[in-house]
Amino acid sequence: MEPIEINVKIKRFNPEADSRPYWSDYTLQARPSDRVLDVMHHIKWEVDGSLAFRRSCAHGICGSDAMLINGVNRLACKVLVKDLGNRIVIEPLRGLEVKKDLIVDMDSFFDSFKAVLPFLINDDAPPPAERLQSPEERARFDETTKCILCAACTTSCPVFWTNGSYIGPAAIVNAHRFIFDSRDKGTAQRIDVLNAGNGLWRCRTAYNCTEACPRDIPVTQAIEEVRRAMLFRGA
Amino acid sequence: MYRGREGQWAFLLHRISGVAIALYLLLHVLDISLVMLGPDGPFDAFLAFYHNWPFRIGLLMVIAAVVYHALNGLRIILMDFTTWGVKIQRQLWYGVLVLTTLIGIPVLWVVVPQILAGV
Repeated sequence: MEPIEINVKIKRFNPEADSRPYWSDYTLQARPSDRVLDVMHHIKWEVDGSLAFRRSCAHGICGSDAMLINGVNRLACKVLVKDLGNRIVIEPLRGLEVKKDLIVDMDSFFDSFKAVLPFLINDDAPPPAERLQSPEERARFDETTKCILCAACTTSCPVFWTNGSYIGPAAIVNAHRFIFDSRDKGTAQRIDVLNAGNGLWRCRTAYNCTEACPRDIPVTQAIEEVRRAMLFRGA
Repeated sequence: MYRGREGQWAFLLHRISGVAIALYLLLHVLDISLVMLGPDGPFDAFLAFYHNWPFRIGLLMVIAAVVYHALNGLRIILMDFTTWGVKIQRQLWYGVLVLTTLIGIPVLWVVVPQILAGV
């Protein structure tokens, strides 16, 4: 595909040097088939080396480069220039403190993730072979195994923007992955965390999380399933 | 503004209509309680004051808010208690908007001519 001229606006902020965020404007050539991440690489490597952003695998697996692109949270490595047109606006994820430019402090996000005990809990004596599970039992939580912890969901949530202590959709998705695992016995402990004041009852079903998820996890569905499990299992 | 889709606007409208209804209720209770001050009290004067057209238009908006909030509340119940409710949440929201409008039309039909006539 032939290159086209595009205009890229990026919200910049260095808390050590700037009193407030500002916009940097770049006009450059890009192919419609380029990813936004390619455009950002071009800017960083050839135009303005001071631009700061995270990326690792660059193929939609590691979850490092979630950002607010043209008003919607997505991975810079999964969205193409042709899907955005020739004006691209990039901002850091909302609701988390900006460390520099597009790099946000993910600590509170990972604290919420850890709080739901995202690992198999089962103190029964291990069977001689593996802990067997039917394909149906495995399918029950298949969707929520797909999370890459990019934070696109949690930082698209209007409740999280105004209350940073809300545990957030990503943590609930990862709780769902174990609560509905037939081998897991830690539901009661996880529900203690989710039932707390800033737990899953704060969800107001705005669906921004479901729309934002780059892995197409039905996030709101997962939240509702955990809620119903808590209601009807008397947990 | 985050470019969320139907769910975000459904949530925002639900919140705004809820706050509006709560504020209206407060005003309404204060207003009605003035009757306790007796026939020579300010009750009649306030009633006449609230009969001015800006308040009557406000009342139409309160009706719209109550109808939307009630219908979207039913949508939220369906989403909370059924799997299909989440899957068709967008269609449900459009249904809420259509029903709110359909209920609103006869109300406007009756009330707007009254306001224009100064009744």
